[in-house]
Parts: sequence; structure tokens; C-alpha cells
Amino acid sequence: MANPVIMPRQGQSVESCIISNWFKNEGDEIKKGDMLFSYETDKAAFECESEFAGVLLKRLYQEGDEVPVLKIVAIIGKPGESIDQFSDESVDSTHEGMVSVESKEEEDFTPTNGLTVARLEGEKIKISPRARKKAKGLGINYEGIGGSGPEGRIIEQDVILAAKTRSFTTPLAKAIANESGKTIPSQGTGIGNRVTSFDLLSPAPSVGEEFEIRKLSNMRKIIAAKMKESLQNSAQLTHHTSADARRLLELRKKAKESFEKGASENITINDMVCFAVIRALKKHPMVNCHLLGDTISIFHKVHLGLAVDTDRGLMVPTVKNADDLSIQGLAAQLKAVANSCKKGNINPELLASEAATFSVSNLGSYGVELFTPVINLPQVAILGVNTIINRPTDLGNGVFGFVPFIGLSLTYDHRALDGAPASAFLREIRLEIENLDFTV
Amino acid sequence: MYDVGIIGGGPAGYVAAERAGQKGLSVVLFDKKKLGGVCLNEGCIPTKTLLYSAKLYDNAREGSKYGINCSEVTFDFAKIMQRKNKVVTKLVAGIGAALKKGNVEVVYANAEIAERASDHIKIKAQDNIYECRNILLATGSEALIPPIKGLVREEILTNREILEINSVPQSLTIIGGGVIGMEFASFFNSMGCKVSVIEMLDEILGPTDREMSALLRQDFAKKGIEFYLGSKVVEIKGKEVLFERNGKTESIISEQILISVGRKPVIQGLNMEILGVEVLRDGVKIDDRCRTNIPNVFAAGDITGFSLLAHTASREGEVAINTICGIPDRMRYNAIPSIVYTNPEISCVGLTEEEAKAKKIGYKVRTLPMAFAGRFVVENEGKNGLVKILVGEKFNEILGVHMIGNPSSEIIFGAAIMIEMQMRISDVEQIVFPHPTVSEILKETMFSFHE
Repeated sequence: MANPVIMPRQGQSVESCIISNWFKNEGDEIKKGDMLFSYETDKAAFECESEFAGVLLKRLYQEGDEVPVLKIVAIIGKPGESIDQFSDESVDSTHEGMVSVESKEEEDFTPTNGLTVARLEGEKIKISPRARKKAKGLGINYEGIGGSGPEGRIIEQDVILAAKTRSFTTPLAKAIANESGKTIPSQGTGIGNRVTSFDLLSPAPSVGEEFEIRKLSNMRKIIAAKMKESLQNSAQLTHHTSADARRLLELRKKAKESFEKGASENITINDMVCFAVIRALKKHPMVNCHLLGDTISIFHKVHLGLAVDTDRGLMVPTVKNADDLSIQGLAAQLKAVANSCKKGNINPELLASEAATFSVSNLGSYGVELFTPVINLPQVAILGVNTIINRPTDLGNGVFGFVPFIGLSLTYDHRALDGAPASAFLREIRLEIENLDFTV
Repeated sequence: MYDVGIIGGGPAGYVAAERAGQKGLSVVLFDKKKLGGVCLNEGCIPTKTLLYSAKLYDNAREGSKYGINCSEVTFDFAKIMQRKNKVVTKLVAGIGAALKKGNVEVVYANAEIAERASDHIKIKAQDNIYECRNILLATGSEALIPPIKGLVREEILTNREILEINSVPQSLTIIGGGVIGMEFASFFNSMGCKVSVIEMLDEILGPTDREMSALLRQDFAKKGIEFYLGSKVVEIKGKEVLFERNGKTESIISEQILISVGRKPVIQGLNMEILGVEVLRDGVKIDDRCRTNIPNVFAAGDITGFSLLAHTASREGEVAINTICGIPDRMRYNAIPSIVYTNPEISCVGLTEEEAKAKKIGYKVRTLPMAFAGRFVVENEGKNGLVKILVGEKFNEILGVHMIGNPSSEIIFGAAIMIEMQMRISDVEQIVFPHPTVSEILKETMFSFHE
């Protein structure tokens, strides 16, 4: 019979791991003790040895995938052996079996009633067997109740409390939950704490509670640590300027037209600003650096990081050797890495802050006029790109008119760079933007 | 030290005081005049008393339609006003008794904030200082007098003065075709007065569903009320009101002028600055638990500047007291009924068609004549009525119910429950409505969605 390989649990707080590398391909012969794949948590990296001998029949996740612990990652068996038994359902049953071995009190639960919830992976409900039994006895749907046990596990007391404060759900809220798969909270804001559609559509805190407690995702934890580290361990400050955006807007118009006529890339304002930044970096190599303790690494190539907003949080993927690219090439690559981030299949190496030599964060589309971006250490600077605003400008001969300006906010690490060279670099970006030229 | 000090004895203040007393809190309530506020003394109750007299008068005159002949139907205006005063006095006394039962201390004096201490607030009234752990601001609202050229305050009437007049004027010009204006229009029209209504917008009754407002306006126009819509009053010259309509200046001369263009919260003279209470659009800003930005300061009723209705005020008072007591409760404004007590009445709850469009909420709508309910035909000879129901496009939940016709004011609470409980058409269809009642029209309209 084929054997499943499980993503091991590394410590109690780890909910999922990212597969860094596969060492074996499907069809490879596996000996007991062979390294199958490496994986990492937010803190450390590990390798997984095979406990079985046979052939690697199936890899269920790719490199870069985030896998909840105790999920089946791969299947090893005899060549040609069926792996059908590891369809989703049996994965879950195996899963439960594994959990009960790992921790007697805790079991994962897959909701089975009509109000099944589409939960994020790694967010399974933890409930003690006693609590589960109690919930069954009291007819409580424990999906929506909060746990007060360790790691948010639902314990008996939570179920008893939920039964006491149990409330009803309006017909509309039920209909919406059934259709959308949204969780019905245990308490709502309607008459007699009834759960209404408003409670489903905007997860307001239930009556009597000022807030809802959620665990941070791994991603959030990483962002939190990185941001705090950056602000605590560097001497960062921000200079602001703005560049005449008439040229940008004109080029954007042309680019849009040619894209509509069939050009391969739809070059955006952001692509153009990044292009200008790369050119400025070539002239100011002291900004294209990593500051590492007592040394500074001055890069010959520009590896450009771009802040991307995803459902899971902020990611900063890197376009390697960005200074080798044409504007079209840059536009294509920026789009590619941003999309991979959104899909979640980005190569983790490109997300490391060491991967980029300089980063750009563009909040212009949100109408932001000024901000102070936070440096991704060990990089020494980051450019914040702001919205375009019409500003009164001296057009010469005493004539004033309104001209579109794009705001630029450069945060730099004063440990690595002084104010004058930073300002000179910022001016260089402005000049590059104002004199940008390329054929579309 | 009192648990709660309440400033204002209207529907927000006295209901809050009563509930707080029932919960065992020590309460002091300040009112500078009489308990009951605008609602009881110069609003809801006196106007409805007058309107009921007018309705009886209408019915008596129309009695022959039902086979009842009343010859020489007359009214005694002094008696009508007397009865109104009697009703008000009786109800005010009732509030006093209820507060006494709840051990609420009532102070009839002007109250103002004297000092803010770390754990309480001092209220000053008649040179006495009252220390209160929490205070509830419930000072209500007053008629808004717009800055019109030539307007002399003593020569015009508001809802307050018009309730004290001695005889029915020959003619009355009403500036502002909102709820208050239309109710007085209905009353004085029934009493034989020549009524003209000047409204700045292109329809009367502001946010009311336009189909309902238009029907009432047409009905009233038939009864002889003159409407000047899209008209802006520019000047008052004694008994003459000058207004601009379609770029032209016109004028009406009448015996009396009533101003009913809106109301503004009373926030002056309280020394509220001492507390630093946040004000939003002339009213005190509160959250859905009736808390202001200051921890132990609450507000309820018209002082908030929105949903200026007695029943909103009372509910806000209750929510404030529950919040003070730590009982989870909150205001929900999406299912508060609003009624125009004209003859015929207009009763509404939930979204209007105009709101649904503006908010881009997908809806389906059905309208049905009230005559589909047998009881309406029985009691409203020769009269029209209409029901309009909006439901969600996808889930068929009841979004809004609008009715014109009598006695819709007594039915609308049922529709409010449907909206508050988020019932769908299929849920309402399972409710048993008593037969024969006018309320059956709601169920009838639900089934018409299947057609």
C-alpha cells in the first residue's frame, strides 16, 4: 500500500511551512532516509527524510507553496500503485489520525453541516474532545465560537458560555451564509443579539465585546518583525520632492495607445518611474547598496524590489538585473513578479530583502500625497511614489499655470548615506522622470 | 452622588429615567418646563388630538356615503383645543407618576454643566450642584427659523404657537411641506381653512417615498390645498409671503403664517464646552450605543440631529441606560418606522425606492391598491390607498414598506419587525394575518411578487 509523506509539525506555534526545494522528482526511486524536500518556517529551515522506501508517486505541492502542518505533501509507493485513496477525504481522515497521535487532546475538525466555512488553510478549528461532546449535546455549532484554551482551542467552558448566550440567525443571514459559505458568528447585532446580514457582511464585533481576537498569519508576523527591525536598527529619514509629470503622462498616453494597437506591454506610470529610478541608481551607486555591520556592499547590478499589495499582506518581490532590461522588459518582469505574489507562487528567494538592492513603493493609485516608506534592511533606501497633483508653476514670462507633478518620497538610512548625496540622488530621479524617453 | 443625571424630560430623557429607575439606579432628571418634551407638549400628542377631531369631523360630513346622515355638522374649536390640553395634562401627569414610582428625582429648572471631575460630572441647577457618575444629554430640538427678509418672530407661528391659537384662521400659509407642515395642512384644511403650502423642493415630505408623497399631494390638492413646489420664500411683508418660482416672484396673503422648515438640536446654554463633547452637523455625535466621545457622557433624542422622532429618542434613551448598566444593546436605525398622521396617513419603514437606487441596492418592487384588502374597502368609501414593498433582488428580503391609507400607522410596526428580523417574502407568507384587516394588504403584496 502507498504511504503518505506528511508535512511535519515544527513546534506548537507553527501552523504551516513553505517548501523551499524538492530534492526528488516524481518517478524517482526513494530509499528510507533519503532527503525528499527542504522546508522552512518563519524562523528556521529543515529537511524532510523519507521514512518509506519505494517510488515517489506524486508531489502534491510545488516549491514555494505554503503547506499546513500535517497535510500530505507527497505519496511514496510501488510503481503504478493507485493513489486514489489519498483523495481529499482520505487525506483528512489520515490527517486526523496523525493529530490524535501527536496530541491526544486536540483534534482538527472539518465542518460537515450545511454552513461549511471556507477557512484559510492552517486555520482549522481546535476543540477539545470534551468540548466537542458538550457542543453536540447542547446542539451548539461551535464553528463560530471563540476558544479560550491554549492556542485558541475551544474548551468545555467556551461551549457552555456559547449555549448560555446563544442567539438566533435571521432568515436573510442564513440564506447569505448558505450561499457564500461565510461563518455565522455566535452572536449578532440584531434584536436579541440575532445574527443579521450586517454581521456577515462586515464582521462587526459581537454585542458585548469590543473586539474580535484573531491570530496573526505567518505572513503578518514576518512583516511585523521586519518593519520593527528596520525602524529600530537603522537611522532612517525621508526627503520629499516632486517631478513635472507632463512627460510621464504623455508617454503613458502613447504607451496605452500602442498597447491597444497590439504592443506586447502596457507600460504604466509605475514602470516608467522604476525605469527612471534604475537609471538614477546607475549614476549613484552609493544608494544601490547593502549596509552590513562594518561593511557596505556596493552592487554592480540593480536588483529592484517592488512593494506589492496581496490578499495575504505586503510582499516585495525582486526583479533581478533590472538594469539590463528595456522599458518593455522591465514592465513585463514587474508585472510577472507582482502576479506571482498575488497567486502565491513567487519564488521565496525573490522575496528576501537581501535579494533587492533598492525598492520602490507606489501608493499613487490611492491618492497618497506624501509618505515615509520603511526601508527593507539591509538595503539603504526606498523610494515612495505618490499621486500626481496639479500644482501652480511659473511657466516663464510671469505666466503661472497648473502643471501635473508626481510626488517622490525617498527614505534613506543615514548610517549609509548623508543628506546631500541622498538629495542628489532624489534630484537625479526627478531629472530622469522629467527627461524620460523611449520608443513605444 | 447620582448614577445618572439626565438633562431634558422628553421621550429620550423620561424613558431613560424610567428604565434607569427600574434597574435600581439613582437618577436625577432636569427639565426647565414640563415633562414630556416637544412630543407631549407641542408635538406628537397635541397634534394627533387635533387631527383626530378633524377626522371625526370629516367622517361626520361624509357620513352619508355610509348611510349615516348628519345634518348641520359643526365644530367647537375652543372645545377641540380644550380637549387637547386635557389629553396633554393627563399624559404629562402619567409620566410624573411613572418617574415617581421609579424613584427618579425630578428637578424643574434650567440645568447646565458646572464641572468635570475625574469620575463624575457636576450639574448646576437653581444654584444647587448635583454630582452624577454619568450624564445623558436629551435636550431635544427646536423649530428652525430661517433667515427670511422681513420675518418678525412674533408675527409668525411655529408648531408651538399654532397649538395655542383661539380660532381657525380664514387662511394659512405654510412654509415648508415636511411632516409637521403637512399635518397642520391636513388639520386646518379639514377645519375649513384655506391652506397654501410653499415647499422649496420639487415634492412635499422630503425623504418619504415619492410615490406616496405625490399621492397625498394630489389628494390634498383635490381637497383645496394649494401647493407651490420648487418655490423659495424670499420675503415676508406682514401677512404677505413672497416667493420665487421658476424665476418669477409670486405672493400669497393669508391670515396666519406657519413656519415648518425643520428643526435644530438644542445644544446652547448647557456649557457643553466644559466636557468637550464632539458636535457633528449641529448635533451631538453619538455611536450606536449612544456614547459621545466623552466616556461618561451619553446623548439621546433630537439633540443628535438625526432621526428626529420620539420613538427613536425613547429607544436611544433605553440603549444609553443599558450601556451605562453594561447590558449589551445598540441602536439599529434601519427599521425605524416614520408616519405622517394626515388624513389619509402615510406610514413607512425601511428603504425608499429613491434610496435603493442611490445606494445601488438591487431590489424588486410591487405596488398594490389598498382596496385589495377587504377591510379597507369597508371603511374607506371612495378613497384610494396604496402599498409599495421593496425586496432584495437576490434573497427577497423585505427592504422597505410604504403605505398611504388609514389606518396604516397601526400596521407599520409589523413591517418594521419583518425588516428588523430580515424576513424574506417566503417567511412573511407563512405569517397568519387576521381577517378581515387592512394589514392583510402586506401579505397580499408579498404574493404579488410571484406574478
